[in-house]
Amino acid sequence: MRYGFAIDQRTCIGCHACTVACKTEHEVPVGQFRTWVKYVDQGTFPSNTRDFGVMRCNHCTDAPCVRICPTKALFTREDGIVDFDRDRCIGCKSCMQGCPYDAIYIDDDTHTAAKCNFCAHRVDEGLEPACVVVCPTHSIWVGDLSDPNSGIARLVADNPVQVRAPEQGTGPNVFYLGSDRAVLDPVSAPAQGGYIYSTPDPHRAEVAADMPLDPVTQARTTLDTAHPRPWGWRVTTYLWTKALGAGAMLLATLAQLFGIPLGGIGMIVAPALGVAGIAITGALLVWDLKRPERFYYILTKPNPTSWLFWGSVVLGVGAALFGIWLLMGIAVVAGLVAPATMSPWFTGLAIPAFLAAAMVTGYTGFLFNQAEGRDLWQSPLLFWHLVVQAFGVGGGGLLVAALFGDVDETALALLAGALTLGIAVHVVMLVFEYLGQHETRQASTAAHLVTHGRYATTFWFGGIGLAVVAAVLGAIGWAGVLVVGAIGGLLAQAALLFYESVFVRAGQDVPLS
Amino acid sequence: MTDIAPSDSIPTRPSTQPTTEPRVPPGQEAEAEPGHPMPGERRHEHLRNYPPVSDWDHHVEYDAKAHPRKVPHSYMLIPTTCFNCESACGLLAYVDKEDLSIKKLEGNPAHPGSRGRNCAKGPATVNQIDDPERILHPLKRVGERGAGQWEQVTWDEALDDIGGRIRRAILEDRHNEVMYHVGRPGEDGFAERFLAAWGVDGHNSHTNVCSSGARLGMTLWGGYDRPSPDHANAKVILLLSSHLETGHYFNPHAQRIMEGKQAGAKLVVVDPRMSNTASHADLWLAPWPGSEAAILLAIASHLLRTRQIDRDYLRRWFNWKVYLAELHPEAPVTFEAFLDRLEADYAGYTPEFAAEEAQVPVERITALSELVAQCDHRLSAHVWRSACAGNEGGWQVARSLWFVLALTGSIGTPGGTSPNGWDKFIPHGPGMPGAHERWNELTWPREYPLSTNEMSILLPHFLADERAKLDVYFSRVFNPVWTFPDGFSWMRALSDETKVGCHVALTPTWSETAEFADYVLPMGHAPERHDTHSYETHAGRWLGFRQPVRRVAMEKLGQAVGDTRDANPGEVWEENEFWFELSWRIDPDGSLGIRQYFESPYRPGEKVTVDEYYRWIFENRVPGLPAKAEAEGLTPLEYMRRYGAVEVGESIYRQDERHVPDDDLVGAEPDPAGSETEGVLRTPTTDESAPPLIGEAGAIGVRHDDGTETAGWLTPSRKLEVYSTSMRDWGWPEHATPGYIRSHVAQREIDLDAGDLVLVPTFRLPTLIHTRSGNAKYLNEISNSHPLWLNSVDARRHGVVTGDLVRLSTAIGYFVVRVWVTEGIRPSVCALSHHMGRWRLHDAEGSRWVSGLVDITHPDGPESFLLRYRGGVKPFTSDDPDSERIWWTDPGVHQNLAFGVQPDPWSGMHCWLQKVRMEKARPNDRYGDVWVDTARSREVYREWLAKTRRTTGPGGMRRPEFLMRPIKPTRGTFRVEP
Repeated sequence: MRYGFAIDQRTCIGCHACTVACKTEHEVPVGQFRTWVKYVDQGTFPSNTRDFGVMRCNHCTDAPCVRICPTKALFTREDGIVDFDRDRCIGCKSCMQGCPYDAIYIDDDTHTAAKCNFCAHRVDEGLEPACVVVCPTHSIWVGDLSDPNSGIARLVADNPVQVRAPEQGTGPNVFYLGSDRAVLDPVSAPAQGGYIYSTPDPHRAEVAADMPLDPVTQARTTLDTAHPRPWGWRVTTYLWTKALGAGAMLLATLAQLFGIPLGGIGMIVAPALGVAGIAITGALLVWDLKRPERFYYILTKPNPTSWLFWGSVVLGVGAALFGIWLLMGIAVVAGLVAPATMSPWFTGLAIPAFLAAAMVTGYTGFLFNQAEGRDLWQSPLLFWHLVVQAFGVGGGGLLVAALFGDVDETALALLAGALTLGIAVHVVMLVFEYLGQHETRQASTAAHLVTHGRYATTFWFGGIGLAVVAAVLGAIGWAGVLVVGAIGGLLAQAALLFYESVFVRAGQDVPLS
Repeated sequence: MTDIAPSDSIPTRPSTQPTTEPRVPPGQEAEAEPGHPMPGERRHEHLRNYPPVSDWDHHVEYDAKAHPRKVPHSYMLIPTTCFNCESACGLLAYVDKEDLSIKKLEGNPAHPGSRGRNCAKGPATVNQIDDPERILHPLKRVGERGAGQWEQVTWDEALDDIGGRIRRAILEDRHNEVMYHVGRPGEDGFAERFLAAWGVDGHNSHTNVCSSGARLGMTLWGGYDRPSPDHANAKVILLLSSHLETGHYFNPHAQRIMEGKQAGAKLVVVDPRMSNTASHADLWLAPWPGSEAAILLAIASHLLRTRQIDRDYLRRWFNWKVYLAELHPEAPVTFEAFLDRLEADYAGYTPEFAAEEAQVPVERITALSELVAQCDHRLSAHVWRSACAGNEGGWQVARSLWFVLALTGSIGTPGGTSPNGWDKFIPHGPGMPGAHERWNELTWPREYPLSTNEMSILLPHFLADERAKLDVYFSRVFNPVWTFPDGFSWMRALSDETKVGCHVALTPTWSETAEFADYVLPMGHAPERHDTHSYETHAGRWLGFRQPVRRVAMEKLGQAVGDTRDANPGEVWEENEFWFELSWRIDPDGSLGIRQYFESPYRPGEKVTVDEYYRWIFENRVPGLPAKAEAEGLTPLEYMRRYGAVEVGESIYRQDERHVPDDDLVGAEPDPAGSETEGVLRTPTTDESAPPLIGEAGAIGVRHDDGTETAGWLTPSRKLEVYSTSMRDWGWPEHATPGYIRSHVAQREIDLDAGDLVLVPTFRLPTLIHTRSGNAKYLNEISNSHPLWLNSVDARRHGVVTGDLVRLSTAIGYFVVRVWVTEGIRPSVCALSHHMGRWRLHDAEGSRWVSGLVDITHPDGPESFLLRYRGGVKPFTSDDPDSERIWWTDPGVHQNLAFGVQPDPWSGMHCWLQKVRMEKARPNDRYGDVWVDTARSREVYREWLAKTRRTTGPGGMRRPEFLMRPIKPTRGTFRVEP
């Protein structure tokens, strides 16, 4: 059993009946849609065309939203319907990042994720979904795609069909007949020049202004719905707090393993940064939930395929190990235990703490990779890039602390070297990342926004320029001028924040519908 | 007739399981579901579109929001009819048995027109029911008209006051001071009943802002005033304007147009705008507005020149002998001579001429002609408003279209186009009152003897001219201050108590017009009232029944209901019961002879109830219904309450050829040979005879040259009048035949270099309907901006880009709009959709979902009016949390205020297209500004009035007797007093 839709754009008249029938069936709040109709105009009078596209959840065979959901609030039924349970949802919005179709929203009434669920409550009673019932031209077909004799299976088998975003490999179960390419591929039809009888939301309009029109088709999206960016400054900020805390611990553990004396910086400052970084990260994560009071569902209703769940585990383990490190450090500094007595314990803890630190900063790479809807975030090097960033800002942070402590040359070299090399490698990775080829048009469009579009100033001056200065100052620090290095360390923090703000926003900017 | 049905095996599109297929294995018929197969039933394998009828009284559905938890709710499924446009599609209300709330509305699978499907406006009905701003109690004005001061009154107080005024008017022989002005009727026959019973000629309509042009063009051919295209079976579908997404009857027609197209029909769309319909066209022509008749006549000329015509049909049905006699008296009276002369008379309409007039490539005209020529009697076509409603002489567009239909032999054929009357069915209630003997010159003035129908746009000017005054004026689902041209003149007229004594607004919601009423009486939305209606959605005939679903549910649950107010929110009522009650108050003792028409047919002398009224109709006036009901063990009324609709006929074609029943022929004599109406079969009549709604009193058919006698058409000749004697006799002999009249916005009238453009102010969106959808949040969130469509060529010439403010000046004022540069409209033409520009003078009196607060001032003297927004659409607090989520801000531009009245001198149609001059907005201009000089609007009125020829026809007749006229008086009343 594999339920699916076939949408016949050859007969769709763009009347929005499906949209409104769906809204009344599910009492969807104003401004939000489970299905909607998009218009695309192309060409020059009198050789111009208008095409429609009925947009909705694709009930993917391999649904990224189901994989990324930390609490199994989204799930695939036996009959193929990708359904959701608002009672399990914590409102983390990761499903919205996982979906390559802009199909999911956070319901304004329940503050939980919602989307087309195939009217599963009706299907369970043997009734068609509401949109199918209402359609004046019977342009929406429904049925079992796995039954070769079903009407929908024959329709799909006998006709040329298309799916949205096939490159995402999600196995969409919504098939389009007679649809125009520009309708299904939002990058091909920017929402430039206004809508036919509504207005693009400001975000969509700003992004569209940076997107090139197809020189042949001149395709423009002339009606669509708004899809606000799910993640904002909190996610940007916790990428930095994690990197700083984890980076500090990476360096403290390395110093311990290589016998480089960091003193109080290694025993107190680094683990304190590590613990604080995770604590602030955790707080920001919970704050960013639309149902923060349900945060513990991640652990009580866990989904082992979700990197949001594993991230929580990583943060928990990291917090515990960094906390022990900190307690051990306090014991030494307070004179409760002799340093030599504690040293083997530090060494013993160093490897697990090092791995934990790498994961604390780097797991987000796997989470972002799971955000199948965001091609900019799909770099396979993202984990390593995050680790590199952590070294840079961790080194920078500890260099600032070193101003107030007593570090020897090797320690200074470690910290300033980490800052210099971490930030330098980060910059090199950025240059390769953004100026290189991208696998998909969505990713290259996002990269274009970063390098030439609305984020260019922030990216080049804040993300790159400031980082280069930080690396140079770090190198001067490495050469022995601690104060300069520390200033570089501070600038590195700002540079990373600038960059992450661009990375997080641009990744979510390219329209998916 | 051979029924040319489309192939039912379209290889590319597997059909779903047919509804007529048994749903149980053979031999188990006893277990079959009760009821009859419904036209809208459908299955996708084991999924069905509606619960079986057997479950409709008790249907359990799981809560969509609690899902996947199974939380059951019990519903009663009660059919009713949508009221959001003229289509009257079926709805099925889900009434919660716990609290009797209406959970949602789906389509009604039993409805033969809509077949269980709807457009967006159908399901959005639930928004209107739940609208937190609806009017719940009768209100009476306490301050100045328009000042926004109201007090709540009882229905009794309102009824006594209004009934008393009407009684006095009747007693004092001031019948013509009572007027009922209806926007969307949404019903058939009821208004006629109470007006005829009162003996007042007080029907007024919205027709001449809508369809007067198309009506005249079609009426002149055959008497019927609307097309009924059989799209599903067509070979060529020719649409003037956007019938696939907005027209009459959008949802029923869209279904069938797409069926026809899937079966291989070619779709041709003529529209200066890239509509959704045009986007589906095989051939899209975007002509200069007003040139459409030239295009159609070029097709006709091509058909005649190449003799790709249906000779037999034309010989039998054209009044070609009159054509020859009047235009070519020298020619031999033979059909071949007629064809030769006809061909010669239309030879000037070459493709090149049409291409020049229309400013489209000549190849497209030729392609269209050749396509139409190959239609094989299966040309389904539709024009209703658009070109006919836009242009001076626009009625010739519809007339030319029917010329083409006739030449191709596509009238009344399968896949062709029938007149509406064949596919429409109006049953009347018990004891229909006879014809009255009044003539209201406010609605039927001498200047417009051929108008179709009432000259409603001129009412404020006639009042200002002191032609007459009104004592009681009902506006019902009617908002002329907004919808009509020259709204400031309406505002002035309605504000003047010496001209309008008492204005009663019957409306579910606030409107710009209700603001200027003395009483605002809340009437129910679609699922809160009774009506019957029937529309020509396809080659069949059906009767729909609108009913107050909560009331029906209460009665089924055994709860006592006095009248519909007991079931509706607040004190909201329904018109039918209101008219019953009001008529009794006008004539409490029956002495005026009015009350008798509102007495029960079952309980003599008692007031009729709605149940009894419809019970009587369904038992006595709907052929086949009693038998169908009996087959299911139901009374006719129970059947209609169960199904909400009944099919009265199917596969109806060629009704011109139907035989006149022998009983009717008794005493009938044919008009003499050689006369213009030779062969017309007539029964004796007098001046007291009542002509039918369309047609002449006594005329029942026509005897043909071959001796056959058939019903024929409703014209004086009972033929298709290629030469209209009525046009000749009422002052316009030069337009006695189909022709092309250059529009008031023809190319030569428009000076592009001076900044002129043609403005199309009438196009509609698939989601909105006039001013009645403002209270539907799910529609507003989709369609909520009002840009001026402007081609890039014009934008470059004017140096404007998308988002720029421009000022468009008309003959009487100007307005300020925002530009949207698009390729979706032809150059030289700009367009602004019809729906937006809603405003309110007082905060709580108007839909805040859609309107902006305005100030109306007189900056340049008392004759000048400036409407300016104080703010846009904003979120507001109400019982509905969604009202806080309004994200849209644009209330739009109320362009109609700046249009002077432009009545077409023949049909009376307001010619909507505007010659405008565009300039960039001036420094003090603000978005949405509308400025008008009402002195200019008076001048424009007089300029257009001067185009008419005030006349009477033979025998002093005010207008041709056969022309459609609501509440037709006796024949004698047609004559002007000697």
